[in-house]
Amino acid sequence: MKLSGWFVIGFLTMAVIGVIWWISIPPEVEIRTSLSAVDAMSGDTEGYLRADGPREFVFPDDHGAHEGFKTEWWYYTGNLFTGDGRQFGYQFTIFRNQLNPPAEGVDTVTEESGWSTDQFYLGHFALSDVENKNHIYEERSSRGAIGLAGARAVPYRIWLEDWEVQRVGGESGSDPRFPVRLKAKMVGGAAIDLQITPAKPLVLQGDRGYDQKGSTAGNASYYLSFTRMDTKGTLKINDQLFEVSGHSWMDHEWSTSALDEDQKGWDWFSIQLSNGYDLMYYQLRLKDGSVSRFKAVTLVDPAGEKVPIDQEDATLEVLDHWESPHSKSSYPSQWKLTIPRVDLSLDINTVFPDQEMDVSVRYYEGAVAVAGTMNGEEISGHGFIEMTGYEGK
Amino acid sequence: MKRSKTNLLWRSSIRFLLQHPWHFALSILGVALGVSMVVSIDLSNSSAQKAFSLSTQAVTGEATHQVTGAADGLDESVYRQLRMAEKPLKSAPVVEGYGRLSVVNRTFRILGVDPIAEAPFRSFASQKAGINLSDFISGETTGLVSHDVASELGLAVEDTLMVSVSGHTFPLRLIGLINPDNDQTRRALENLLVVDIGTAQKLLNMPGKLSRIDLILPENTNERAIKNITTLLPEGADLSRSDSRSQAVSQMINAFEFNLQALSMLALLVGMFLIYNTMTFSVVQRRPLIGRLRGIGVTKREILRVVVQEAILIGVIGTAIGILAGFFLAQVLLKLVTQSINDLYFVVSVQELSIGIYPLIKAAVLGMGATLLAAYWPAREASNAEVSTVLNRSSSESKIKGRIGTLALAGIVVGGLGGGLLLIPNGRIGMGYVSLLMIIIGFSLTIPLLVTGLTGLIRPVLSTINGLIGKMSAQGIVTELSRTSVAIASLVVAVAATVGVGVMVDSFRTTVVSWLEIQLQADVYVQVPRAVTRKADGELDPTVVLRLKQTDGVAGFHTVRSVDVHTNFGIDQLVAVDNEVSSHNTYQMKESEPGFWNRFRNEAIVMVSEVYAYRHHVDLGDSVFIRTDRGRAGFQVAGIFYDYASDLGTITISRNTYDAYFDDPAVSGLALYATDGADVDELVKRLRSRSEGLQEVLIQSNRGLREASIAIFDRTFTVTIVLRMLAMLVAFVGVLSALMAIQLERKREHAVMRANGMTPGQLWSYVITQSGAMGLIAGILSLPLGIIMAYILVYVINMRSFGWTLQLMVSPALLMQAVLLAFLAALLAGIYPSYKMAKASPADALRNN
Repeated sequence: MKLSGWFVIGFLTMAVIGVIWWISIPPEVEIRTSLSAVDAMSGDTEGYLRADGPREFVFPDDHGAHEGFKTEWWYYTGNLFTGDGRQFGYQFTIFRNQLNPPAEGVDTVTEESGWSTDQFYLGHFALSDVENKNHIYEERSSRGAIGLAGARAVPYRIWLEDWEVQRVGGESGSDPRFPVRLKAKMVGGAAIDLQITPAKPLVLQGDRGYDQKGSTAGNASYYLSFTRMDTKGTLKINDQLFEVSGHSWMDHEWSTSALDEDQKGWDWFSIQLSNGYDLMYYQLRLKDGSVSRFKAVTLVDPAGEKVPIDQEDATLEVLDHWESPHSKSSYPSQWKLTIPRVDLSLDINTVFPDQEMDVSVRYYEGAVAVAGTMNGEEISGHGFIEMTGYEGK
Repeated sequence: MKRSKTNLLWRSSIRFLLQHPWHFALSILGVALGVSMVVSIDLSNSSAQKAFSLSTQAVTGEATHQVTGAADGLDESVYRQLRMAEKPLKSAPVVEGYGRLSVVNRTFRILGVDPIAEAPFRSFASQKAGINLSDFISGETTGLVSHDVASELGLAVEDTLMVSVSGHTFPLRLIGLINPDNDQTRRALENLLVVDIGTAQKLLNMPGKLSRIDLILPENTNERAIKNITTLLPEGADLSRSDSRSQAVSQMINAFEFNLQALSMLALLVGMFLIYNTMTFSVVQRRPLIGRLRGIGVTKREILRVVVQEAILIGVIGTAIGILAGFFLAQVLLKLVTQSINDLYFVVSVQELSIGIYPLIKAAVLGMGATLLAAYWPAREASNAEVSTVLNRSSSESKIKGRIGTLALAGIVVGGLGGGLLLIPNGRIGMGYVSLLMIIIGFSLTIPLLVTGLTGLIRPVLSTINGLIGKMSAQGIVTELSRTSVAIASLVVAVAATVGVGVMVDSFRTTVVSWLEIQLQADVYVQVPRAVTRKADGELDPTVVLRLKQTDGVAGFHTVRSVDVHTNFGIDQLVAVDNEVSSHNTYQMKESEPGFWNRFRNEAIVMVSEVYAYRHHVDLGDSVFIRTDRGRAGFQVAGIFYDYASDLGTITISRNTYDAYFDDPAVSGLALYATDGADVDELVKRLRSRSEGLQEVLIQSNRGLREASIAIFDRTFTVTIVLRMLAMLVAFVGVLSALMAIQLERKREHAVMRANGMTPGQLWSYVITQSGAMGLIAGILSLPLGIIMAYILVYVINMRSFGWTLQLMVSPALLMQAVLLAFLAALLAGIYPSYKMAKASPADALRNN
């Protein structure tokens, strides 16, 4: 009795010591951290190049990157159809961000390492499967170094790893119009491989490509578009491969600071109409929710000429809203756009509501269907709407 | 009724222990010392392992696989190809190395990452965690450390710290701090400096190269998918599991740690002898009491129980103290163990002890187990004794005398078996230790016989010196052989352990020193300061090499390049030497194929160090397959050379062959020969001034390097030497406690002598002489056992652990030291009892008993 009692005491002592230590040692845990005292990316624009007035563009150079400006993007959107009329929307965008101002007009990167760079690239690729109301997207990023990402003018190639738009056919020449091949694939397997050929000449938006967006000097961008490009190729979604064709739109825009302090976001339409006209319309919105006086409208006739219209001639009316279940933001989903001066009235609807891009910066980029009249004639059309600044509403 | 009786017994037992505080304390000390050594070694080993695995976990992150290159890293274009590949893969480039922060002069792991690709891998290094890309990737030298490191170094964000790597110093701006979310993370990051991949390439001088590419492959990735990735890789690159490297690295130190553990177990073994000794003493001393108790009806079982209870009490207290002491000892040992690991194997920085449950359970089990085991025989003896014989004090003595022969025979059989175990070819290290243990036990069993014999020899000597008292002292040893032989045996084992380890270290050192003499043929050696002392993995600046070679007074040179390569055996060190004609004298060949040196320069052959050949069972004519920049290539082993610089072994190749297989023009070390008659110290000065401002390099004369090498050797053995000192302490305490116990026990006998007319002075002389004689006998007997142990340690354990050929070197001074240790401790042990006896009135002593 007693003997075993002693054993019990002995082992209990050990057990108690053991348990104390055991408790004091947390079990095998993963390495978890947070970061502190890291400066938030400053909005400082000092030292960067600014869009401060119309300039002469030189091609093909101006299709490439404009280092020294803080932001730049190459935006491809389009509506594509299979032989039996099934519709898909696609968005493919490569953004370039400059991380530090260029020093004395030269690149700040002075180190020998190929990895060191001031160029940061971000890519968005999205597909809208209209039939299934399914919108899928992916975001990628990389530094613009050791060939991982970049924007080259000659021969034209804008790429982020294996996502790329590349010139096909002749390598150079000063004609800004040339066919490209666009290839992108998501981790899940969805992919596009498209041949894109401009059907109209390059459009210089705003004032000869200079687009003032705020009242402060330099709050402007350089803005070029191909408003209608014949597109054909393949699209793969849910392991199904489709032969598709349709029209694409391309915007190439660069700036250092575009928006004023009180501007919050924008609504931006790009529309190709069945009568051969193409329409670009955007309006900037203020923080109080009202529409800024900065808006723009460009109508391109079937021959590729800009129809002279004043921005005041266009009116946009929101008819309906959709609340995103992901962000709880409320986005417009139905509009009426009228330009009485050219006798144009359009009803615009998103092809389905949920085309929100829930990526590092949340926004809406969706295919729209258009119906209406122009010069008394019934017309239809397809296009894209981009909406930003609806967060927290 | 029964309850109160056992209580009474227990109280008498406690009372007895308290009345003999010296024995009680010494036996507790015996257990405590043994346990504390086991605990401290275990804790320091496991802390080093834990620190290593945590920091590995931090830098491996969530990666499942990795792509590595041949010798000098992986070309960064491989990463681009992987990123551009059809199937999107989760991948992240890594450039890794070591550097020192000048503020603390501590080695840090420099982890170069691409924060944009990091998110799935290492959250703390990713853009998503908040790293400001503008500061981080744009080419400025910036970095992150953990919050704790910053506060430890008194640094804040925006401070500049100086980082030195391979002799170059860079100012680095701290742009952020990593906040660990938990304690494990804190420790994992405590030696980490996170920089951009471009910054890392610059710091570590790896332009265009990556250390590896980390991948996350889904769990169900099949062989074919892996093969598909492999087809994207160039020659020399390889895809492997992320944990394979850390496994390979942590296996490096297994033998090293195992040996430390074995040494600590040896201490526990000595501790066991002490416990046995004490328990026997307490039983023998209470024989009359036990007899009386048995006489009044206490059962055998109850006696047994009381003795076991005492053992448990000693065990629990001793173990508890031992564990506590072990913690403190571990703090000291941790530094030494870490230092040795850093010198020998890889960089691990252990800032604190990690306390696991396993070493504590092990210590508790060993401490209690050893105590109970040691107490078993005394307890049985006490309970088995018949009532009549218990009252007779010398019954046990007559028993043992009849058995000395049998015991000795058993000892010879056990020892012989132990020796026989050594003959089994290809035995393992553990087997070596088992055999060592059997030889120790066997030897201990022959000790009663040896003691009887030796006493016979020294009796005339003592009688000459000290007359009748001397003769009586000698006789006293034999008459109580059961007590004295156990005490002597424990002393022999304890002292022999110190002899064995001492001889081993001496042998090692002598061998290395004489090897260095031949190895270091050049006059001046130039190296890059490095993280792992015995690994020359830095790179000398080509301009430095050129300038130094062209210095006045330099007659000739050869260069060395040392890199880690992947072979069919894992990751091994490959050393390329040029100028084979002059370097060839420095290699002492164990075996080589005919015409080896003529073929070495131009053929695809290598020589491997003895240790390498042993570890990997490589023989002349076998091939080693190495991943080179030309793909996997086989190299025939045509020579085996002696080398004591690396216990992991090296493969040595001619520079000419190396250049044919690797695109790596770098040089790790330069050996210069002075012109005849030149003053080498002057030359060193001249060389130093010529390299100034280019790269911080170590320029040492032949003598300087030899001294530095020996200093490193001594440093790596410090831990062994500390353990040996502890073993000596255990031995000392053992001698003291055992002999003191014997003399105290003889109180009554001494009283009788006093009553019969012996003066206090004569009694003093008697006790001291007897004690001293026992100490001397123990000291002398420990020598053969110590040398046998040294022999096993040098030729069996060392061979099986590391594969080195050592020359057994027995220094007389060391042996003298051992005998002296035993003798002095014994004399000291005699002082207190004889002082006490001399003072006490003999009548009281007789009455009280």
